[in-house]
Amino acid sequence: MNQTIVSYLSQYEFYDSLLCLFGNNEGLLAFVIYLLVALIIIGFSATVGGLGTYAERKISADLQARMGPNRVGPYGLLQFLADGVKMLTKEDIMPFTADKFLFYLAPMLALVGVFATLAVLPWSNGFMMADLNVGIFYLIAISSLVGVSVFLGGYASNSKWSMLGGMRGASQIISYEIPVTLSILAITLLAGGMSFGTILSHQEGTIINWFIFHNPFAFLAFFIYAIGALAETNRAPFDLPEAESELVSGYHTEYTGLRFGFFALAEYIEVFVVCGVGAALFLGGGNLPFNIQIDIIPLQLVQVVIFITKALLLYYVVIWVRWTLPRLRVDQLMSICWKYLTPMAILNLVGCAIWLVVFNGKSMADLVFGSH
Amino acid sequence: MTPAQIDGLMPIVILMGIAVVLFFGGHFLTVLLAPKKPSHLKSTPYECGEEPVGSAWSAFNVRFYVIGLIFIIFDVESVLMFPVAAIFRELVDMGHGGYALIIFLSFISVLLEGIAYCWKKGDLDWVKSFQVSLKNNK
Amino acid sequence: MFIQLLFGLSALLTVGCAIAVAVTKNIMHSCVFLLGSLLGIAGLYATLGADFVAVTQIMVYVGGVVILMLFAVMLTGGKDFVSRAQNLLGLAPAMGNKWTFSVGLLVGLVVILTNVKLIMNIAKAYPAKVIGNDFPSTVSQIGHLLVKEHVLAFELSSVLLLGALVGAAIIARPRKQG
Repeated sequence: MNQTIVSYLSQYEFYDSLLCLFGNNEGLLAFVIYLLVALIIIGFSATVGGLGTYAERKISADLQARMGPNRVGPYGLLQFLADGVKMLTKEDIMPFTADKFLFYLAPMLALVGVFATLAVLPWSNGFMMADLNVGIFYLIAISSLVGVSVFLGGYASNSKWSMLGGMRGASQIISYEIPVTLSILAITLLAGGMSFGTILSHQEGTIINWFIFHNPFAFLAFFIYAIGALAETNRAPFDLPEAESELVSGYHTEYTGLRFGFFALAEYIEVFVVCGVGAALFLGGGNLPFNIQIDIIPLQLVQVVIFITKALLLYYVVIWVRWTLPRLRVDQLMSICWKYLTPMAILNLVGCAIWLVVFNGKSMADLVFGSH
Repeated sequence: MTPAQIDGLMPIVILMGIAVVLFFGGHFLTVLLAPKKPSHLKSTPYECGEEPVGSAWSAFNVRFYVIGLIFIIFDVESVLMFPVAAIFRELVDMGHGGYALIIFLSFISVLLEGIAYCWKKGDLDWVKSFQVSLKNNK
Repeated sequence: MFIQLLFGLSALLTVGCAIAVAVTKNIMHSCVFLLGSLLGIAGLYATLGADFVAVTQIMVYVGGVVILMLFAVMLTGGKDFVSRAQNLLGLAPAMGNKWTFSVGLLVGLVVILTNVKLIMNIAKAYPAKVIGNDFPSTVSQIGHLLVKEHVLAFELSSVLLLGALVGAAIIARPRKQG
């Protein structure tokens, strides 16, 4: 229980020699390890976010029979670096009517909210920065900072497009938080805990142990989660806060240069985090679809690779959906959330609870194949 | 939570710290690298090329506030349900499944009742029909 | 070491932002400072080892109440709050004249001193000690308490929330003017 990267490394001998190096100060060593791992994870996520913008353009180009970016680097792969440098050297413009303090603060809140969610993302069952007992609950809570930042970004710009986008964004994010939370509650029910360690340990073994195949209600919960997560990250078909055909660019219309870059970075990392959480909750996280039992560091690395692969597959689906489906209207958006997804999520929760009691916690596969 | 477990919160603080440092560091780089040629026209809010009319800070529709209110209530309900859901499996394994189910279901049914009421009375509609609402209020 | 650091940071955030909430004249800025203050309180809960309560604090207050307050401010247009002339040294917002402030200060001091006196006595009588329990985490402890000892409170809270939901819906309905 409560595996962290430090407690994982402390099983090995080199941890002791490292400890000697730091004068037996465990707190300091933990701080250094956490700092290094945090930098690696942020570097990785920023790269994924950057490549996300590239993938977005390339995949949309594929879907529309175009070439897409192909000038910078091989296959245009370095496009995101060029974009980053461009953003850094753009003039920093702020509307003279803007609320300066909030205009500065909004992108920072988005960054803080998204980076803080990375702390509990389960890269494998050993490499977790923090396996809190309230893991998934913490993740839902802290990501609501992004909603506040969207609203503040829209408000502070004092432009009509931004204001409309900000209001829409905030109300959409909080509305869709309800079905997402309720479908995560169903998984909490099945796993018997909120920490990612518990959730992953219940999905070990073969593919039939993944929670998505636990029972029909969990299967449905995955799709409710996926729809809600799309809306919470402002992705099409729910991208009303930044609908370019009606709101110019929504809440970041007035943002230029690096501050716009921070908003975009936060958004793309958030999509990755949401995909990662989906993979961990429903698709077994870093667990292989078949059974091996060896506890060595390479297996952990294999798990990390599997987790990232699953998350990126979901990421691909997210982009695919964006370029396939048309955008919804605001009233449709709200009625989907409150009249369909929320009651369905509640009934799902009830279904999961009844299933657990009636079948004594057994999954569909257990009933069919009669294991355990 | 023991003090050792509280140390497990360290990465959260570190990550938030990195976010703040990254923000200000990036800002510093912009100040160094970016050109600075401010003009009045450049810093007018964008309104499709027209002169902006008035401020964007005007009174907004009350429906956003209603959504916020309903959201908070569901939020609190889910907060209350989380600890019960976390030990639900444990209770089932201990053989108290029926008891746990009754408690859980009676809690959720009240929640469902609330959403059914709001749906019936048209509070969940985004485009509210004024006539319908008047009729309901009588 | 980390606990002291976390406590220091959270306390600084809480108190600093709370002062800023009272001092700033822009109501939107007040809301945002309140967010900082509430986050700091979540940090304080975390230093006490109450992880579930800390996250609940973030979930309900930062994610819900602050956004609701921002929406509520936007109902009025969210313009700068025009402060009246009679404020204290231009620092505190206008909530009355000199007499209100001095009487308020006096009452506040008396209340704080009484409370400190009371709490000190209680603290002396019951020295702090860690109470051992069999639960693996605070979450499971809260869950067991909600299902066993406090099951009535748990069920009644849902009725209370139903009342709040219906009330919110009724208040927000459009009405005939005049």
